[in-house]
Amino acid sequence: MGSVVFFFRFLGWFSLRNLKRQPGRAVTVLVGIALGAAVFTSVRLAVHASLNSFTKSMDLIAGRAHHVLIRPGGYVPEILIQKIIAHPSIQSASPFLSTYVRPAVTHGDSFLLIGIDPILDRTFRMWQTEKVRSKNDAPWLDLVKFPFTLVMGEPLARKIGIRTGDTIALEHSRQTKSFTVVGMLSASGLALIEGGRVAITDIATFQEFTKLYGSVDRVDIRLKPFSGSEDLNSFRKTLPQGTQLVQPSITRNSGRKLIRAYQLNLSILSFASLFVGMFLVYSLVSLNAASRRKELAILRSIGGSSQMLFLVFLAEGALFGIAGWLTAIPLSSILVKYLLQAVSQTISTLFVRVHVEALSLDIWEIFLSFGVTFITAVMAALQPAREAMSVAPNEALEVSQHGLKRSHKTKHPAAMGLLCFVVSLIFSQMPNVLSIPLPGYAAMFFLFVGFSLQAPWILEKMGHTLSPILRRLAGIPAYLASHYVRSSGTRTAVSVGALLTAVSLFASLVIMTHSFRQTVELWVHQSIGGDLFLTTKMGSINHFRYPLPPTVINEIRRLKTEWDIDIVPSRRFSLMHDRFPYEIDLIDLKVFFQHGDFFWLRGDPKKARNMAIDGQGAIVSEVFSNRTNLSVGSTLETWVEGFLVKLPIIAVVRDYRTDGGVVFYSWRHFNERYYNPQWSGVRFFFKDKGIAPDSAVKKLREEIITRCGENLDMISGKELRRSILEVFDETFAITSVLLLIALIIAALGIATTLTVMVLERTQQLNTLIAVGADRGQVRSMIFWEAIFLVVAGEFTGLLCGFMLSYILVYVINLQSFGWTFIYSVDWGALSLSFPLIILTALAAALPAVRAVFRQSPAMLLRER
Amino acid sequence: MHFLLLNLIAISWLMLQWSIPQASAQDGYKSVTGPCNLSFPRDHGSHPGFRTEWWYYTGNLENKEGNRFGFQLTFFRSQISPMGAEKIWPSPASAWRTQQVYLGHAAITDVDGKQHLRAEEAARGALGIAGANQKKGGTDIILKTWSARIEQDNHRIKAQTDNFSFDLSLIPLKPLVMHGDNGYSRKGTTPEKASCYYSYTRLKTMGRLTIGGKSYTVEGLSWMDHEFSTAPLESGLSGWDWFSLQLSDHTEIMIFLLRDAKGGLGPASSGTYIDDMGNSIHISKKDFHIKVLDVWKSPVSHAVYPSRWRIRIFPMNLDVTVNPNLDNQEMQTTETTGVTYWEGSVSIAGSKNKKSVTGIGYVELTGYAKTFDAPM
Repeated sequence: MGSVVFFFRFLGWFSLRNLKRQPGRAVTVLVGIALGAAVFTSVRLAVHASLNSFTKSMDLIAGRAHHVLIRPGGYVPEILIQKIIAHPSIQSASPFLSTYVRPAVTHGDSFLLIGIDPILDRTFRMWQTEKVRSKNDAPWLDLVKFPFTLVMGEPLARKIGIRTGDTIALEHSRQTKSFTVVGMLSASGLALIEGGRVAITDIATFQEFTKLYGSVDRVDIRLKPFSGSEDLNSFRKTLPQGTQLVQPSITRNSGRKLIRAYQLNLSILSFASLFVGMFLVYSLVSLNAASRRKELAILRSIGGSSQMLFLVFLAEGALFGIAGWLTAIPLSSILVKYLLQAVSQTISTLFVRVHVEALSLDIWEIFLSFGVTFITAVMAALQPAREAMSVAPNEALEVSQHGLKRSHKTKHPAAMGLLCFVVSLIFSQMPNVLSIPLPGYAAMFFLFVGFSLQAPWILEKMGHTLSPILRRLAGIPAYLASHYVRSSGTRTAVSVGALLTAVSLFASLVIMTHSFRQTVELWVHQSIGGDLFLTTKMGSINHFRYPLPPTVINEIRRLKTEWDIDIVPSRRFSLMHDRFPYEIDLIDLKVFFQHGDFFWLRGDPKKARNMAIDGQGAIVSEVFSNRTNLSVGSTLETWVEGFLVKLPIIAVVRDYRTDGGVVFYSWRHFNERYYNPQWSGVRFFFKDKGIAPDSAVKKLREEIITRCGENLDMISGKELRRSILEVFDETFAITSVLLLIALIIAALGIATTLTVMVLERTQQLNTLIAVGADRGQVRSMIFWEAIFLVVAGEFTGLLCGFMLSYILVYVINLQSFGWTFIYSVDWGALSLSFPLIILTALAAALPAVRAVFRQSPAMLLRER
Repeated sequence: MHFLLLNLIAISWLMLQWSIPQASAQDGYKSVTGPCNLSFPRDHGSHPGFRTEWWYYTGNLENKEGNRFGFQLTFFRSQISPMGAEKIWPSPASAWRTQQVYLGHAAITDVDGKQHLRAEEAARGALGIAGANQKKGGTDIILKTWSARIEQDNHRIKAQTDNFSFDLSLIPLKPLVMHGDNGYSRKGTTPEKASCYYSYTRLKTMGRLTIGGKSYTVEGLSWMDHEFSTAPLESGLSGWDWFSLQLSDHTEIMIFLLRDAKGGLGPASSGTYIDDMGNSIHISKKDFHIKVLDVWKSPVSHAVYPSRWRIRIFPMNLDVTVNPNLDNQEMQTTETTGVTYWEGSVSIAGSKNKKSVTGIGYVELTGYAKTFDAPM
């Protein structure tokens, strides 16, 4: 106990006092590590909040069901419920329906409307209404008694501005109807779904509203206690073909998987900031260890153990970790507010719908954030601490100019760096582990480390090669700078490592984003062809589950316009293939190919086009193929609305419309082989490409409304394509912010390193003045040193970034989301941004230049 | 006498509280105000338009080894909206749209095992999940996996729960008994405070019951009530005690006591005596006296229930003691109605016309426990 107390007292005397003497440097490092920790923490918390909200909603919807009966692509006939309940293995069963609706008057945000039988559902899901106004009020009973009544979540009611007793007109694919609000849900159970943006109605009202007579989305089932697999199998045998008994967690798990993949990607990206901050800690602790070598030797000579010195420097790093994490708390609270909204928006757009009302502080996330920050800081201090413990007691008697000993061994780290490249290459070829692209991230990590280890060698070679040239071109200051950089050792290289890490991340993400966007743009213009798109109202948010009414289809077929138009009907079904969600998109491929094309990836496009038109096979998306391992030559077998559909796969195409996969098949041949799947959407193409599309689309839209009514959603092809790209850009806004922060930290690293370099050579620099150099020359020399560091960091970073972008495009994205893109470098953005980064980094060198002559040379020389 | 229990259950379940406005109680519902003109098998079926209805079976059974069991199976029908409400239904209406909701309570008293097992169910009268139908000369009352089929010479009742099940065949040994005035049974001071009420008071019963996976072949005697009405409870009642007694001399007695807040009996408290030939005799309040001999306190609800009684019926010269076969036969129906009451198997011993008589029966005690609030 006594030794522990002594250790901390010694740490205070030895380290903290020293840090106090150089508050600027300590604060810079602290800010760097705090920024990194803040980014990491807020990203984790923001995604965790979305994950939590989604999981909670899914769990609440799943309720206490053991199994769920579904009919892939369609609805479960309600007549089955009585048979299910009567089965001896079944304890209880409850039908469940849900759909998104929105207020008709305001066209406000959509919300989830749930349809249940409040009596059968009691065993499955909990919900309560707020205290009723009188003894005779029983909102749940009113739901059963009175058609078109609902109870509503308080947050939703507040947002819409209605109260119990009010009426509200709701829009849905099938119709718009007025509902009476008979109660408010109290904040528990189902009321917590999607942050309270939920309403519950009776199953009868739901069916009458959505016209889903005789059908339910699913039937939740609880087995009797002690029911075994035999009972379950006997129950399965009683179910009609085309229905499936699945786990209630299936939707939740597939959604969670996607959010987790996104969380992991953002975490890695945000960790980059911490990683860059690690260089800062290393830089400062290393300086302390080197500049106080004499003091360390004295301590050793009077009995201080090498272990204690090791621990003191390690503790210094730990202190930065702890202080940085604590400083990150207020920063995180600001950053997380922005991220919370942005992240949940992105997740809702890309993966699954989430509504995050408030941040949920998860103890594990807090612990993780602290742990990662702490370990990062300690790891950064490890090498300087080892150097400190190697100081021999006899060094106390040595007369040294300035106590600094730099490592000149650059070949050893360079060789280690090469080894890291090999390891990175190996990892990049490995498949993902447990659906997580861990090998891909490992490849990224080793690439960073490999390049960072090359930094001393690069600096040495750079200084060596450039010094004679610079002597002739830029004079003595540039020559001296190159000479200094050549022999400056590991610590200077560490700053280059920090910058190269940030730059490489920047470059790789710029390349990846550009590649992604270019590919999506190509895909959008090629595959999302069409001048006008029509679906049922709110068709997209409801996964096109409600086909167009026959009256609308007939009117569309009879449509007469002043232009020749092609009508391409389609029907989409949301399905699962071994827990992987995908869509079957039945489309009139013959007409589709007259106006557009797929983005072919595998298979012979010409042959596949003809086969697809003739209904001989299906075309699948890259994501579908990668996730299901079904490719050209395989056959997809699936149940669709009670029909066993078998589709040979004839080609693989790029498609980015959903996180899941897509299977395209001829609508006409599906109709001939199986049944009439109806239409859930229609694309209109103007045959004459010379017409003014905007006014023609407007007139076409008006004609459709006149004939079919307003209960349809329509968007022009131009608007649709633009909105897809807007969503894409919004999605990557978070990435840009995180990158910017990583660059700021790197700039801090440059500023710290240069300042340290100047301060530790104050005597040397003043000696230069004393022997005749003018101040301008010395400043110029420092500036040249900064240029060396920045250029070295930037160019190695660029090189690393190119390699990293390959890993991102072809390994990480493939493993995370199942898609790849066409590799494309945004030379414009890179060539514009790199001078800016150089200027920013050079600006970070200014404090160092100013610090050179703060004390008079005479004073400094006398002190020595 | 489950009329009152039914009212309480239906009203409490539907309104979640314990009263409804009396002024509107019969608005839009059919009312029992005079002769019921019951005709069978038609009136074994349901009577939509009346707010409440129930089919109620209790009995005492025994297996060859002499193990004794009591059972209860009750189906309640409750009309949730008045007649004509369907006029505001959308067209076409969903198959789930209905005015009828069915509730059920089932229990087994394992006398020798000293355990009382209970279960409850509820469902709307739609899609064959619950309902009362008449076909092929019989009446089917269904509530999920529970059912009763009433035929002229046979009743078949089934219940499956997590803990127990039974499948029993019941043969009437006596013709059905119309209570009150040919089935018109007054429950209060005004004509509409009444129900249509008949019983099968002696049903030979055989079948199987299963408790915790162990199956028993049993036989014994059962009692069946069927009653429907719209009239709510009279105000001022705090609860009631109901007795159905089957004596060893092939006679039966039904008595109900309506208790007011002060512990006194309401004027409508009365009963029916059925002689060995199946003839029924009305027993008025002045014809009997019931004394509570003991009490039992529920460890769950903390309600204190009467537990032993001395019953004297003066015209029949009857003096018997009624003992519960198990103290704890309390029904807690938190999943459906929220009502807590005591419904249990009893044994009878005493004298009738100075001759020794024994018997078995069922007793129902309500209003002793603080009611549960049963919000959804």
